[in-house]
Amino acid sequence: FTPLMLTAMFILLLPIIMSNTQLYKNSLYPHYVKTTISYAFIISMIPTMMFISSGQEAVISNWHWLSIQTLKLSLSFKMDYFSTIFIPVALFVTWSIMEFSMWYMHSDPYINRFFKYLLMFLITMMILVTANNLFQLFIGWEGVGIMSFLLIGWWYGRADANTAALQAILYNRIGDVGFIMAMAWFLTNSNAWDFQQIFITQHENLNIPLLGLLLAATGKSAQFGLHPWLPSAMEGPTPVSALLHSSTMVVAGVFLLIRFYPLMEQNKTMQTLTLCLGAITTLFTAICALTQNDIKKIVAFSTSSQLGLMIVTIGINQPYLAFLHICTHAFFKAMLFMCSGSIIHSLNDEQDIRKMGGLYKPMPFTTTSLIIGSLALTGMPFLTGFYSKDLIIETANTSYTNAWALLITLIATSLTAAYSTRIMFFVLLGQPRFNTLNLINENNTHLINSIKRLLIGSIFAGYLISYNIPPTTIPQMTMPYYLKLTALAVTIAGFILALELNLAAKNLKFMYPSSLFKFSNLLGYFPIVMHRLPSKMSLTMSQKSASMLLDMIWLENVFPKSISLFQMKMSTTVSNQKGLVKLYFLSFMITLALSLILLNSHE
Amino acid sequence: MSMVYINIFLAFIMSLMGLLMYRSHLMSSLLCLEGMMLSLFIMMAVAILNNHLTLASMTPIILLVFAACEAALGLSLLVMVSNTYGTDYVQNLNLLQC
Repeated sequence: FTPLMLTAMFILLLPIIMSNTQLYKNSLYPHYVKTTISYAFIISMIPTMMFISSGQEAVISNWHWLSIQTLKLSLSFKMDYFSTIFIPVALFVTWSIMEFSMWYMHSDPYINRFFKYLLMFLITMMILVTANNLFQLFIGWEGVGIMSFLLIGWWYGRADANTAALQAILYNRIGDVGFIMAMAWFLTNSNAWDFQQIFITQHENLNIPLLGLLLAATGKSAQFGLHPWLPSAMEGPTPVSALLHSSTMVVAGVFLLIRFYPLMEQNKTMQTLTLCLGAITTLFTAICALTQNDIKKIVAFSTSSQLGLMIVTIGINQPYLAFLHICTHAFFKAMLFMCSGSIIHSLNDEQDIRKMGGLYKPMPFTTTSLIIGSLALTGMPFLTGFYSKDLIIETANTSYTNAWALLITLIATSLTAAYSTRIMFFVLLGQPRFNTLNLINENNTHLINSIKRLLIGSIFAGYLISYNIPPTTIPQMTMPYYLKLTALAVTIAGFILALELNLAAKNLKFMYPSSLFKFSNLLGYFPIVMHRLPSKMSLTMSQKSASMLLDMIWLENVFPKSISLFQMKMSTTVSNQKGLVKLYFLSFMITLALSLILLNSHE
Repeated sequence: MSMVYINIFLAFIMSLMGLLMYRSHLMSSLLCLEGMMLSLFIMMAVAILNNHLTLASMTPIILLVFAACEAALGLSLLVMVSNTYGTDYVQNLNLLQC
């Protein structure tokens, strides 16, 4: 069991090590990487099967790394429920994405480096998922952040890409502050960074570290307040968006909160906070997704909305359901990104959905997968999304929780259906709106195979995973029929509404956007305001207080300059003399002499 | 009075004449002011020493201090005038602006 797992992870390391050798310069390097990952996937299925059948978890703790006074850090991997199921899913999705990027990045001269970066990202993600102590998790955390930066700014000649990469790093850093705060609290209060020790000891007030972890999840998983980096991260190539920002990296924050579920179970305040945060995120990003025009940005906002849903699930104390949603979401979101990548490439790098249309006939396979992906996303019964999303909504409906957050989540679910319909309507239906000289060809085996694999995954993985995992929390079995049908009802309502609106407004004149439209299109004015105003204000205030306040005003202006100014004004106001100084002096002298002579007569 | 006092008093009167009657330069009146201060100092010191008025022995030094202050003031005024006009001719002082 354990050697197999370690073998699987070691295989992943091989191509990186070989990168200095001749193999790297070979043009077959991508193929090599892809087969490596497929082997790792198959090998990691074996421990997963063993885990499913026996329910046995393991912790591998092999190398004593360092001891800092009373803290012992070792290289320990935790193979529990979460990591054992997540690793095959992540490897499967990454395998498909690697194959897809062999087609997508075919003409890129640095394709070998691209694959190396993707592989390094995968390794750091594995480190994050299997970490048993906070230090190793932090290594994986920072690693995925750095690889995200390198991959978003892949086309570094483009200023927007550099800005987006920097934005990603900055927002992640703010979340990292929360993470480090939690680490410091755990270090000082329980002298351990191991999960086992943290979960066993009883702490009296866990608000501070849990707040830190929530902040870290907000930064990494793009919750409201630290969210603008995710739509901007679409500047990277589509495989990057598919891997990082749909399936793996952005779930790192959710994964962190899931790991700490024993601590969050008792703390009602934290649960309410996470619930409200997730609800705000999912509604806000769903609203923003409604009026975007770039296909990748719509899918990015959809990711953000689903992440909010995962955080909501944690907020209603269902970490296992959130984890299930992570696994199922990976499939269809990666597939949606790959379909949009195929569309973009075929239309000669056109990303604006207002300039696409009528792709139903020329690209049947992509159309199929796009429709199935969107249906799975919205939670169509018995596709993948149903098994996680519907369960989440049912559990939220029947639990004793914040009614406002619940309502917001339901509205966001219907909006999910609405923007999915919008994508499908603009991209696939209607008459073509793109240039007529594009060669639309989706005949490449790499592309077809990878999307096909994820397609089958999107359809069946929900069923397979739900019925094969060890039972954890018992879902609510009985509820009134209207509660059970709520998710389905709001989704269908969203579909129908969006379809009717799109059909009705198809041939009308484009009217001037209302303020609500502008709010939605400009991401709620959040990036525009928050990127400029606080920084300018803090810089101005610091400049004013440091230089103007003390030095210039008090020392320079109050006493010396004001006195001199006052004197000058007074003297010009009061005096009305002319400057005939010599006459004045002469008269003085004559008066003096005369008085001396005249008054000398006392003798 | 004795001859010494009359002598020094005469020097004082000379400096006073010089202070009040000058042609064009402001500097010359300042110099005569210094001359007045000097003669006053000498007279005061001689009178105190001759009459053994030891209690008042510090008054010449105090006089010197005040003389220094007023010399500084006078010079700064001269510099201000010279800044505006370039010279210190007294004819320039008919415009009361700094």
